[in-house]
Amino acid sequence: MTDVNALAAALDAAERDARPIPRLTDAADLDVPTAYAVQHAVIERRRARGERLVGVKMGFTSRAKMVQMGVDDVIWGLLTDAMPAGPDVDVSRLIHPRIEPEIAFLIGREVRSPADADAAIDGVAVGFEILDSRYDGFSFTLADVIADNASAARFGVGPWRRPRDVSNVGLLMEIDGRPVQTGSSAAILGDPVRSLRAAARLAAAAGIALEPGWVVLAGAATAAVPLPKGAHVRVTGAGLGSVEVTAR
Amino acid sequence: MTETTRTITADGVQAAADRILGAHASGTPCAPVRDLIDGADAAYAVQRRVAEVWLAGGRRLVGHKIGLTSRAVQRQLGVDTPDCGALFADMAVPDGAEIPAGAVLQPRAEAEVALVLDRDLTHERHTVADLIRATAFALPAIEVAGSRIRDWDITLVDTVADNASSGVYVLGNRPVRLADVDLRMCGMVLERRGEQVSTGTGAACLGHPLNAALWLADHLVAQGTPLRAGDTVLTGALGPMVVPAPGDVLEARIDGLGDVRVAFAEEPADEPAEEPAEEAP
Repeated sequence: MTDVNALAAALDAAERDARPIPRLTDAADLDVPTAYAVQHAVIERRRARGERLVGVKMGFTSRAKMVQMGVDDVIWGLLTDAMPAGPDVDVSRLIHPRIEPEIAFLIGREVRSPADADAAIDGVAVGFEILDSRYDGFSFTLADVIADNASAARFGVGPWRRPRDVSNVGLLMEIDGRPVQTGSSAAILGDPVRSLRAAARLAAAAGIALEPGWVVLAGAATAAVPLPKGAHVRVTGAGLGSVEVTAR
Repeated sequence: MTETTRTITADGVQAAADRILGAHASGTPCAPVRDLIDGADAAYAVQRRVAEVWLAGGRRLVGHKIGLTSRAVQRQLGVDTPDCGALFADMAVPDGAEIPAGAVLQPRAEAEVALVLDRDLTHERHTVADLIRATAFALPAIEVAGSRIRDWDITLVDTVADNASSGVYVLGNRPVRLADVDLRMCGMVLERRGEQVSTGTGAACLGHPLNAALWLADHLVAQGTPLRAGDTVLTGALGPMVVPAPGDVLEARIDGLGDVRVAFAEEPADEPAEEPAEEAP
């Protein structure tokens, strides 16, 4: 028997103490549905402390990542109001943070099925996600990373723009003024809106809705890079402006 | 030490040129040429020797390609500058055309920004203002690079001598003025059967495709063969290169520049070409 609550407690403690733990699958049988049950239990613990859901993040949205992980579908994690980064982010509270450029959608009305997704877009933005695996060495299986809320840690979004085609937006991530990653939003399932539709599908399967005001982080346009203390990061999207953060 | 020290000899340059010309003519890749020559200057001398033979044989020079424009590729080869090779008219294939099997040795495809000039660039050092004034328009392009060197076993010297691993190239058909496109932030996606196989942006090419073109302009003046009005410049890859399979169709879209595509023929049927097929009655 897999003790979902015990696994969730271990992940929750790892996050709060900023201390990594061994992979759950080293010691427990964990299939994908059970892994999502663990993720749900982790989020319930956070909600019990007063955190509120503010959106979702999509993972494994690039072909390369799917091939690397041996999967053929995206995964998701949930975002809470403890995760938005301000102009600064305190990396001493994180284990081994990495940052990656993202495209974000702002949800304008409730989404209960993929058919609702496109019309529910109220805004698009360039963003970043700071990932932080709660596992030793940032190493995990598919079930581990799902249980760990898809490595979600912090995120930020730039100025919201009116809905527009974001299928091939050039993205540039600079650290301390030097380019470290370049790419196109096309790396996100060929078009980030497909990732939004997938989020709607996963939401429907989970019996929840994407709520007005939620943010959907559609996925990374490039590989993530380590985020050392003191780094100043700027992510720019063509026609979308930019968003910045400093690691303190 | 003296045993391993090589000097740039005319013999070495000629031998390297002969090896590359032989591979081009026979369609069979050759060994690397780094055993015959030493250093980038000798490699460019080989490239010039090869080009002279091709020009004498009737090929027409129409521009230049820039290679090694991504930091990742430069790191792989342990260099900190790009390189360049000549473009000939017979390398240009129209948008959507099919490249016959074997036409490019060991093909690899990448999406690029092409510039077409309407002024000569003959100064010793050019400014970006010179370059913008000299650029008539930009076009989206797919370069199908190839290597006459077996298994792409290349160092800087090998690829420079081998005309910067040139193959063929495809240009889009709608010219765009530099004022109308952000060449630094333009997204690029290269697709095969609707699946993205390479993505990137203009900044991946030395920070900006015009940076690469500026390097080329100065480099070619130093070589004594400046860029001329009418020249096409392939500025360098915007994302990782892709190995095409026979039958593939690749389509590149560059945001603000448009799209362009190229097809690769299926392998030819396995029968001797000289035996005529039986005629139908």
